[in-house]
Amino acid sequence: MKKETIGRRQFIKLSSLSTGSLMIGFMVPGLQSLALPAFDCEFFQPSAYLKIDKKGKVTIYVGKQESGQGVDTALPMIVAEELEIDFKDVHTEIAPYGTLKEGEHDTGGSQSVMTMYTQLRNAGAIAKAMLITAAANVWKINASSCAADNGEVVNTNSNKRIKYGDLVCQAALLPIPAAVTLKNPKDFKLIGKSTSRSNLNEVLTGKTKYGIDIKVDGMVYAVAERCPVLDGVLVSVDDTAAKKVPGVIKVVSYKGTGAPMHVRAGVAVIATNIWSAMKAKKMLNITWDEGKKNKETTESLFKTFEERSRLKPQMEVFKKGDVTKFSTKNEISASYSEPFLAHATMEPVNFIASVKGDGCELWGGLQLPDWAVNTVSKECGFKKENIKVNLALMGGAFGRRLHFEFAIEAVKIAQQIDKPVKLIWERTDDIRFQPYRPATYHVLKAGIDDNNNLAAWQHHVLGTPVAYMTDGPGAKDAAEMDGADAGFCYNVPNINTGYTGVDFNINRGWLRSVDICVNSFPVESFIDEVALKLKKDPLQFRLSMLENKPDFKTGDAPGAAVQSPARVAGVLKLAAEKIGWTEKRKPNHFIGLATHSFIFAKSYAAHAIEIELLGPKKFKIVRVVAAIDCGLVINPDGMLNQMEGGFAFALTQTLKGEITVSDSRVVEDGFFSYELLRYDEMPPIEIYVVENKEEPGGVGEVGLPTVAPALCNALAAAGYRPRSLPIRKDGFTWV
Amino acid sequence: MPNFKLNINNKEYSVEAEADMPLLWVLRDILDLTGTKYGCGVASCGACTVIMDENAVFSCQRPVGACVNKKIITIEGLSEDGNHPVQKAWQKAKVPQCGYCQPGQMMRAAAMLGKNKKPTDETISSEMSNHLCRCGTYHRIKEAIHIAIEEINK
Repeated sequence: MKKETIGRRQFIKLSSLSTGSLMIGFMVPGLQSLALPAFDCEFFQPSAYLKIDKKGKVTIYVGKQESGQGVDTALPMIVAEELEIDFKDVHTEIAPYGTLKEGEHDTGGSQSVMTMYTQLRNAGAIAKAMLITAAANVWKINASSCAADNGEVVNTNSNKRIKYGDLVCQAALLPIPAAVTLKNPKDFKLIGKSTSRSNLNEVLTGKTKYGIDIKVDGMVYAVAERCPVLDGVLVSVDDTAAKKVPGVIKVVSYKGTGAPMHVRAGVAVIATNIWSAMKAKKMLNITWDEGKKNKETTESLFKTFEERSRLKPQMEVFKKGDVTKFSTKNEISASYSEPFLAHATMEPVNFIASVKGDGCELWGGLQLPDWAVNTVSKECGFKKENIKVNLALMGGAFGRRLHFEFAIEAVKIAQQIDKPVKLIWERTDDIRFQPYRPATYHVLKAGIDDNNNLAAWQHHVLGTPVAYMTDGPGAKDAAEMDGADAGFCYNVPNINTGYTGVDFNINRGWLRSVDICVNSFPVESFIDEVALKLKKDPLQFRLSMLENKPDFKTGDAPGAAVQSPARVAGVLKLAAEKIGWTEKRKPNHFIGLATHSFIFAKSYAAHAIEIELLGPKKFKIVRVVAAIDCGLVINPDGMLNQMEGGFAFALTQTLKGEITVSDSRVVEDGFFSYELLRYDEMPPIEIYVVENKEEPGGVGEVGLPTVAPALCNALAAAGYRPRSLPIRKDGFTWV
Repeated sequence: MPNFKLNINNKEYSVEAEADMPLLWVLRDILDLTGTKYGCGVASCGACTVIMDENAVFSCQRPVGACVNKKIITIEGLSEDGNHPVQKAWQKAKVPQCGYCQPGQMMRAAAMLGKNKKPTDETISSEMSNHLCRCGTYHRIKEAIHIAIEEINK
């Protein structure tokens, strides 16, 4: 009885603590100096991030949501480093929803390591300090005569050792130290060492449970047909044939919602098994009222972009000097376009919901669980405290699960049956009904001065903002300009960038590398165009506008991002050097370069891509060199994996990724029509790292933005300048 | 409902299911062998790949009625404890990111190497191009297959 009480009371919810505070455990007053083993307990849990039980098992709770990016390894490594524990002895688990303060489960923007680094070091160091104090009390010596080493506390006088597991009861009763000393980074043993993923063996033996693998007692299965046009409504459904399919329990309908998630009106088939539900869905005969916005096409959208681009931007984003002084003489201009894109995670979207009385329980992957809970509460009529969330591992996310319309759908369906329901989106649903990466159109203009230098830079971005979807049309501050706004890193004296939002009736969302990827393609392509036009070396041209520019803040706010042109130049130089930019090239071989700053994750990357031209518009990628500067690297192998995979992700969208719309419906409906890069198309990739002592940056997205412009710049060197993605549309082929 | 006797991972199972239910859903939802993944249902991604009578097949395309008297191996049965040369190679090359497609990838590689210990690069490429990995781990899959080839030819 006593055991259990202590165990439970030690653990407190941290959701009420203010931002940035240290984790605080529970202390039983007056029992601080018990000697070993006079008191029994189950475990020591000084914070929400770790627990040590009396057998010595160390569990580290991962607060960020894992979807392949490796936070389930990098974050525990940070804790383990300070805790002085061998990583092979560490067990990792998802931090249960609600055990962290609001917002801390949120996962996106390559922010996990950056935002948690110090906090997790503190968590490990606090636990270590308490274990040391506990051991010092046992030995009746000063804590300064003790040290932590490999899961044990060592008496430095006698060399006696006590295992952490044997100290948990004593440690659990100590007050949490107000301040702890963190290790000197030069003493790091684990951080900076390539470490295998914490769930590697489970993945390799098929034991891993993703959301789609979770089973709940009494669970039934559902698939849904949705209105093909966003914000349409259900008129009628004939489900006679569907209900005759063996296994079908019920056919239910649900209404769509507006912002933020734009759940489509739907009809769901609930069955004892997913196969029956899938078969029955095909037999539904549904009439929809598609509303008035059911004739839009991507062609018409790009026509609107083109027309609108001739007018002044809707909003000015960044202005410096006076571009008009150079707007007539020697002006160079070009326009670029990029399509809608789908996330297409390998694990199709799925979610489990169970409704009982005035409460509901949810199971599944969510990148922003707090927002999901708030929205489910609003849309489905549950008090927030009556919504229980069980977070799950995701088989890829890339921003897909920043959105959670599937969770609202699952609850709406579960409200109509007294059993837990697992909703699975079929692949056709996934490709047809996504929150798509916005399509954009860019007009760039360069003014050249009398000395043949780039003197003025204008960039008008026209897009279909995500914010129009999440906040409603006319949402303020909708500009998707990261990578092209005040953080524009080239030293050009006169700059004018602006944004125009165009509404369009398909849902939009955030996709890996978001605006920075979208804007790097035109910026890094156009810089190259200007260099070639001015007959300057594209590498030296860039460096001449980067190396002379000091770091600068991108705004007046205290937290405004800092841009470092020197680091942007650093990765570019490294990539150029490694590919042999100045060396003689083989016949028909061409190299393209591109560099950038993934500014809000404090990381920088460049690509140098060498192609061999095999015929008109036909090429082979011969070499890919990537250079990255992301400050201190927690898990080098994890970083490399992100850079390799990020390259593949970006190459898909450079070569062939495209979502098209006809009659306000997405045309593509699976992997045969929305094609992804395959094994035989993956070129070899080399990754080089700029090593420095900068604070850790994020690595999940930085490897994407320079892929398209580097490849397109190589093609431009070969005589073709792609200005529209994917390049397949313009007749390019590759082997 | 009809009853089917299946041999999966060298074990006999008796399952009740509609004859047209794909093996994929029998494995996942009836037998709780969830290592075999649903990715597309139309033979376009390879996530559901299992080995049937020594061939890599898409389990989403095999109705359970057509799986009787076949020897079926899933990722759970590829080895006793993850020590198949392909699994060991995947471990060494630290292939997975999200890991979702990897059981299918490994089953394909295991079937290929089961028949041909020294496949050419062209064979490897055409076999493995049946699979999608959205995380983009192809670079490491290639490395892992070469590690496995070296191991089995020792």
